[in-house]
Amino acid sequence: MFLQQLINGLVLGSTYALIALGYTMVYGIIELINFAHGEIYMFGAFVGMYLVTVFKVPFVIAFLLAMVLASLLGVTVEFLAYRPLRRSSRLAALISAIGASIFLQNLALLVMGPRPYTFPSPFTPKVYKTSLVTISRVEIIILVISFLLMIGLTFLIQKTKIGKAMRATAQDKDAASLMGINIDLVITVTFAVGSALGAAAGVMVGIYFRTVTPMMGLMPGLKGFVAAVLGGIGSIPGAMLGGLLLGIAEVMGAAYISSQYRDAIAFAILIIVLLFKPAGLIGRFMQEKV
Amino acid sequence: MYRKKFFWVTLLVFGLILAMVTGCTQPETTTPQDGDEPDGPVAGADVVKVGMVGPLTGGAATYGISVRNGAQIAIDEANENEEIPGVTLEFISEDTEGDWSKAANAFSKLIEQNKVDVIVGAVLSSETEAGGPIAMSGKVPTISPSSTATGLTIGNPYLFRNCLSDEVQASQLAEYANVELGFEKFAILYTNNDYGVALKDAFEETAKELAEVVAVEAFMDNDENFKPQLTSIQRKDPEAIFVAGYYTEAAKIAQQALEQGLEVQFFGADGFYSPVLMEIGQDAVEGAIFTAGFHSGDESPVVQNFVNKYRQLFNEEPDMFAAQAYDAARIVIEAMKSKGTSSEQIREGLAEIKDFPGITGNTSIDEEGDTLKDVLILKVEDGVFQRLR
Amino acid sequence: MFSAYYLQIIILVGINIIMATSLNLITGFTGQLSIGHAAFMSIGAYAAALATLKLGLPFFGSLFFGALLAAFFGVLIGVPTLKLKGDYLAIATLGFGEIVRIVFLNLKITGGAVGLRGVPKNTTILWVIVAAILTIFVLNRILKSRVGRALVAVREDETAAESMGINTTYYKILAFGVGAFFAGLGGGLFSHYFQYIHPNSFGFLRSIEHLCMVVLGGLGNIWGSIIGAAALTAIPEFLRASADYRQLFYGAILVLMMRIRPEGIISGKKSRKIPPGKTSAWRGKNKFLKATR
Repeated sequence: MFLQQLINGLVLGSTYALIALGYTMVYGIIELINFAHGEIYMFGAFVGMYLVTVFKVPFVIAFLLAMVLASLLGVTVEFLAYRPLRRSSRLAALISAIGASIFLQNLALLVMGPRPYTFPSPFTPKVYKTSLVTISRVEIIILVISFLLMIGLTFLIQKTKIGKAMRATAQDKDAASLMGINIDLVITVTFAVGSALGAAAGVMVGIYFRTVTPMMGLMPGLKGFVAAVLGGIGSIPGAMLGGLLLGIAEVMGAAYISSQYRDAIAFAILIIVLLFKPAGLIGRFMQEKV
Repeated sequence: MYRKKFFWVTLLVFGLILAMVTGCTQPETTTPQDGDEPDGPVAGADVVKVGMVGPLTGGAATYGISVRNGAQIAIDEANENEEIPGVTLEFISEDTEGDWSKAANAFSKLIEQNKVDVIVGAVLSSETEAGGPIAMSGKVPTISPSSTATGLTIGNPYLFRNCLSDEVQASQLAEYANVELGFEKFAILYTNNDYGVALKDAFEETAKELAEVVAVEAFMDNDENFKPQLTSIQRKDPEAIFVAGYYTEAAKIAQQALEQGLEVQFFGADGFYSPVLMEIGQDAVEGAIFTAGFHSGDESPVVQNFVNKYRQLFNEEPDMFAAQAYDAARIVIEAMKSKGTSSEQIREGLAEIKDFPGITGNTSIDEEGDTLKDVLILKVEDGVFQRLR
Repeated sequence: MFSAYYLQIIILVGINIIMATSLNLITGFTGQLSIGHAAFMSIGAYAAALATLKLGLPFFGSLFFGALLAAFFGVLIGVPTLKLKGDYLAIATLGFGEIVRIVFLNLKITGGAVGLRGVPKNTTILWVIVAAILTIFVLNRILKSRVGRALVAVREDETAAESMGINTTYYKILAFGVGAFFAGLGGGLFSHYFQYIHPNSFGFLRSIEHLCMVVLGGLGNIWGSIIGAAALTAIPEFLRASADYRQLFYGAILVLMMRIRPEGIISGKKSRKIPPGKTSAWRGKNKFLKATR
């Protein structure tokens, strides 16, 4: 049973990790908690579902298109709601992000209605059973795609020119700009990539749980943010680790302690971790400069 | 400097309050004119206002919007057929966002600003709990189509409801499952809200008397992942699982149980009743047995009339919320027909409803404002609901 | 003069003024971002309601009891989490808020998921006005004193404040305790007004709403919080006229308001013009008040 619960936790955690990556990337560059990220995730799921069910697009293409369209939405939100506030306090940008989140959620509710839509699974359901664990094909696919996307992102950030620019911008915006890096472009790319990852998570959760609703971004959005902080916000490997740990903590809490207190246990673990590692698991603890 | 700022702040606050008063009183002054309009359907027609309160946005929006749709059909029918001579019904709905304290605002607004004569609502039990005292002090009768909390209507002569009692349906189902179907080992999976907890308590009590309950696990509203709970339940090896929750979660639970190789009989309550259950659950919910107050396969003309209209207007199948809201509004109209259209008359009429032939079965209202209804038992067979009892 | 509906809105405005000004003490003046203010409110609400129902305390007594218990938890959460900075503190308060909500959802004595019924209706407009004025008065006295200047010093530059001999830990705990005390007071008024409480209303969305009031009104300005509280309580009620588009407009209004006045309706800083060369009106080192670039 323990091994089975561990797998349950890993699958849940890998979706949290993908959402957390979107938060952490944006945060790393402009130190903004992008509250509308949960809604981008929801949007991605809707696009994927719509393309598959209405336009009968093959799943792989629908998946990629959802990522592209979601990154366009992410960039639009950045342009309309965050860019004008770049010279204002971070809290002002946070409130603007909350407003954007409420707006997008209710726009989806008005356009799509409140009833859950079914996202038909593109894979023939198959369950692999051993004496210890059972795992379904969808779960394996989710784990594989998540890890591929995370490896791809690491490559993008470590090995490409734009990745280098991102790292430079995260370190010191003014110096980066003096070195000829187009900061606006870097921010736009960051939002695009983060939103694409969020949409990927949305589509995968959509096929896993087979439903898409306008409200689906609310809780995963919050959990993704928590996962990002748990790992150390701003750190890419931290977001992955944080997501996986949060998923496992939730599942283990529900399984071995109490399913009533599941979320409370997850948050208690978060607070305890933060007390011992005040900047998250992999975060750098920044000593204030005098 | 400081004084000046204080002055501006005070001015702004008063300005806001003033704007609110003037802004909101406008509809009040226009309504009497509406009533006096000579070109109304009947000369000197009265407008009777029916309010509706429920979550139209937020996580519970799907239930609130179903309730609004169901009640809307009943109101439109009454107006079309001029069921109450010389009276036009006006329908006003207010959003609660699923938050009971905002439900209190919605109740207040409908009663004080719109001067509604009767309210259909609220939807969630917590909303009705918060709205009940306001309805009582405003002397506006209120009938909830779906708030199942135990003892909700006690001590409030203005509060009624039209839904199956959680205790009655859960204990009847437990008895049916054990006595008629012979199940001996149950597990319970419940939503941690008022609805789920009440069902769980009642089912557990009866099931423990008759048979065995091997596992009880909880989940939260709008959860998607039930694997941890199901894995725990699987280890206890039950014969049947009673899911105390709504259709979206129930379908996902059945789905995930199947994936995990947990092949058991599923039982549920009236929260299962929606076509969405089969849409999401597909093969996994096949054979699920649950209690309900409504069955769209019923041949009776009233049921077919409602189902057809709902499909036409809203382009989807009605669920349990819509059916109960339709009946709640029909019961209000019935009360108006028997006693009159003032709030006090509607209240008297509601209190005397006996054997009302609704689409959710024969309905009587008892002295506490609670309903007595027949409990149907339905089963999913070949993707449609079939009546077992 | 007013119908019961306006009276209700005015009472809610009053309670929200207490919530927003007390949060402003923590976030606006001391610079500690808290997304768990609703938790203190719910502790006050439940404690006051239970004090009335189970202990039979008079209304004033139970309000005070609720506020004290909330302050106790404010200090309790304040002590261990003060090591945390910026967003880590914010997420810890958010976690604390969710834990409190889930505990109330599962406890027997609070009615659990069914909620707590039958709280007597003791809150009147007079109580709310008195409580709001008292809150504003006390907070103003604190802010105008040595303590207030110390709090602002903590916000502006913790290291500098420390080196000037200010015990930053003490002042942060003080801010959390006092803020939580008044949040608990607001909660007590809340439960004795609605006669019913359920944990649903004290989730993180409510904490976010309080934060919006503070930022919209203007960080570090008590009068700003009053306006922010009044505006964000009244606007959703105004928007009832727009029926189904209500929440859509609400979201858009938040974005637009921040765009028009990013420093809030009344800025906490004396000079509102951003001098050339400076990136923000805030000169201190506080992470939240600093510009993003």
